[in-house]
Amino acid sequence: MPELLQLTVDGLPLSAMVDPGRTLLRVLRDDFGRTGTKEGCDDSECGACMVLVDGLPVNSCSYLALQAAGRAITTVEGLARDETLHPLQRAFLEGGGIQCGFCTPGMLISAAALLARDPDPSEEAIRDGLAGNLCRCTGYQPIVQAVQRAAAEMRAAT
Amino acid sequence: MTEGNAQHPDRDGSPPDQEPATGSGDGSRPWIRADGQAKATGQARYTADLTFPGLAHARLLLAGRAHARITRLDPTRARTLPGVLAILTQADVPDLRYGSFDYVLDRTLFARDVVRFEGEVVAAVAALTPEQAAAAVAAIEVEYEDLPPILDVEGALRPESPLVHPDIDGYAHDPNLDPSGNVAGRSTIVKGDAAAALAGAAVVVRERYVADMAHPVPIEPHSVTADWSGDRVTIYSSTQVPFTARGKTAEVLQIPEHRIRVVVTHLGGGFGGKCDFHFEGHVAALARAARRPVRLVLSRHEEFIAPDKVTHAMVVDLETGVAEDGTILARRSRILLDCGAYASDTPVLGQIAAMMIAGPYRIPDVDIEAISVYTNRTPAGSVRAPTGPQACWAVEQHHDVLATRVGLDPVEFRRRNLVHDGDEGPTRQRHEGDGAIDTLNAAADRIRADGPLGPGEAIGVASGWWFSAPGASGAFVRIESDGSGRIVTGAQENGTGAVMALPILAAEELGMRPEDFAITYQDTDTGPYDGGSSGSQTTFNNGRAVVEAAREVRRQLLELASVQLEASVADLELRDGHAGVVGSPDRRVSIADLASTAHDGALLLARGSGLPPENPEHDASACVGRLGFESFASPTFFCHAVRVHVDPATGIVRTRKVVAATDVGRVLNAPGATGQMTGGVVMALGNATMEGTVFGADGRQRNASLLDYKLLTTADAPEIEVVFVEHPASNGGPRGSKGVGEPPIVPTAAAVANAIASVTGTRVRRLPMTPERVWRAVTTGDDGATEANAPFGPSEAALAAAGIGRR
Repeated sequence: MPELLQLTVDGLPLSAMVDPGRTLLRVLRDDFGRTGTKEGCDDSECGACMVLVDGLPVNSCSYLALQAAGRAITTVEGLARDETLHPLQRAFLEGGGIQCGFCTPGMLISAAALLARDPDPSEEAIRDGLAGNLCRCTGYQPIVQAVQRAAAEMRAAT
Repeated sequence: MTEGNAQHPDRDGSPPDQEPATGSGDGSRPWIRADGQAKATGQARYTADLTFPGLAHARLLLAGRAHARITRLDPTRARTLPGVLAILTQADVPDLRYGSFDYVLDRTLFARDVVRFEGEVVAAVAALTPEQAAAAVAAIEVEYEDLPPILDVEGALRPESPLVHPDIDGYAHDPNLDPSGNVAGRSTIVKGDAAAALAGAAVVVRERYVADMAHPVPIEPHSVTADWSGDRVTIYSSTQVPFTARGKTAEVLQIPEHRIRVVVTHLGGGFGGKCDFHFEGHVAALARAARRPVRLVLSRHEEFIAPDKVTHAMVVDLETGVAEDGTILARRSRILLDCGAYASDTPVLGQIAAMMIAGPYRIPDVDIEAISVYTNRTPAGSVRAPTGPQACWAVEQHHDVLATRVGLDPVEFRRRNLVHDGDEGPTRQRHEGDGAIDTLNAAADRIRADGPLGPGEAIGVASGWWFSAPGASGAFVRIESDGSGRIVTGAQENGTGAVMALPILAAEELGMRPEDFAITYQDTDTGPYDGGSSGSQTTFNNGRAVVEAAREVRRQLLELASVQLEASVADLELRDGHAGVVGSPDRRVSIADLASTAHDGALLLARGSGLPPENPEHDASACVGRLGFESFASPTFFCHAVRVHVDPATGIVRTRKVVAATDVGRVLNAPGATGQMTGGVVMALGNATMEGTVFGADGRQRNASLLDYKLLTTADAPEIEVVFVEHPASNGGPRGSKGVGEPPIVPTAAAVANAIASVTGTRVRRLPMTPERVWRAVTTGDDGATEANAPFGPSEAALAAAGIGRR
């Protein structure tokens, strides 16, 4: 039996009647039209579906939608403030961290979660922090450099 | 896409054609790809993100067995299930045989009578929900009589072997091929008399190398949505080759091409896995039958087994003779390529494999044979630099073995044998430039400068070449009334940025900035023909088309300016957004003003589609199975040098540093080209030590998920130093450029293999070089080349040989 799900997605309170078996990813994409979050494997292996649930990164393909009741979800579409890109988005864009773009939403979410808990991560910490996100295009090096750059910029701004 | 944009569902997102490009090609300003902001913000819509009123959901019934006769196929009961709109089998589409390339016309859209690999499409369902579609697939009544799966390429060549295609003698095929038995095609590269030269050589080394199949694994799985309007269908597809998808859909459904529009909104990577014709025909037929738009999205498991595009499993026998000073005298080789159940483009890739086994080396006498062999495995095809990494991995290890035999350092051995400017290739094409030598020297110098080696570490190098692919390609360039520019192209952006960089080329011709141009692309109704994002050809071919169109617009602008400025065209230049008289800074008029004038008369509008460069002169008279790669056009030369750590106790190989040196002719977009190098190297490292498909004895894939088939992660990837060498090609792409996208994946595994041998003193002759295989080679001396395609993991025999009992 579907149950009422109420939650906040990228700052907006939303609700839907949701079958208990449905994943957060499916509800975000199909019910709420938040297609910025991608499905790459439905297996928690590729990280393309990563979102923040109350600030913590989860693979939304393997997270039941009803588990998110009352929580605040941040997707890639909620990173930019108004017309201003998040420093991570800008650094990815300017540093060659984006090629096909399919891993980018999950990669940005993982990076945002990493910088929230460690504003000054070592290269090794960045590489570990992003190890749950597969990218087949870039070889990761430009992504790691972009996170370093964004971290420095964010530290300077605070 | 703008003019024909009325049906485009991506309008309220961020259409790929509306973002201006910025930056410069030389890296002096950040190059910001035009589609980057949409991708960074989640606005970019990929095929599976598109939705339509009344959208129905497709699901495929896949064979699930490698080789079987269909004794009963009855969808009657499934058709009565709730929500089912259509179920199609081969009985419901034109019953014709086609080839996904036209080398051998060996397949049908749906299986007819026999299934020949695990992922073969037997039927397709459209239903109101994905769950209803899955239920209907499960309810289709199908019975099989299993046939023995043919899984071994050498066994398949024996006269007594069962046939994958018993009717092959009746199949239409390319006139240069003679398919028969389990052989789809055979090509040779022959020069001189290799047998005689080998007989006279001081040292002859014979070896066998065996490579497993691997997958392209784009992070976006295949997706196709078809939407009919009257007798016209729009197909949104995650394809790298929209025009091929359109042409084959037209062929199999017998519809004229002009009634089919293929649109790619954004493509989530391809690596060759989305080349070729896949599911557009099935989904278009389903949508027509369901009378609604229908969307297919493959699961990751289906992505592994169904899109018949994997790298070739290969068996490479090599025999090379050298003089005492290490000069290569002759090479003989036989390459068996496992083309899987259908030929696809494997025959031509066999010819390419033969050229790769020859390599950019001076070899006076060459006799190389490539045989494409049918099996009941997943059909292989043009995955990024098809056959290149496996061939290079084999032959570059072979070169290190030869170097050791004659007592030479591997770098010195290559230095003595690589081609220089003016040397002749395996079919006597004349090489241009010293790119092969320069990249070797650069890579070797840089890796040695990386500091002393630690315990368990060694350096490995590998050199190679890869062709550029001349082909037809078209583009339009126009200037809008406000002076902004637009490129309309048939080219396809797969993520590399090749299409995104086209404005750099137009801007240079027109004295404008890249960000002054918008790009309309990947829509077959709008752009002129292009071969798609395959063969590293986008910049090479479409770049030339854009330059040609921009030059015509330049002529138009200068003519207009000559009237307005009362000056001769010969005295005018385009700079900083203006047309002006050379040497008279005050006498100039803006391109915006000229464009405004043009919109009262003859428009600023041009097309580009020049003849592609011809292949270099060569002599292929001794070669058979000639399919167009008897010579390599404007080859890219490269050398990768790696620093690798091997733990002999576990067989775990860690690559700590890679130097990738490449002669790309001319760097047109440094950030874009660098991104191809770093990405290619990491994909290659996965292929080197981790990525290989395991088949069971039943012919089914045993690791068809990302849980079992692992890619390198951020934590695994090494530091990569990218070096570009520039020897512009006289008959190349724009400004002498050569192909960039495929070369970086070719030599890395070979360099790693050579480093492994340096550390351990033992060769691993089986790809991928998994920890188990490395461990086994170190422990037992078994190089893996005779190993059956069974396990990731030590065999009982290997364990016994190592004195380890298995409880």
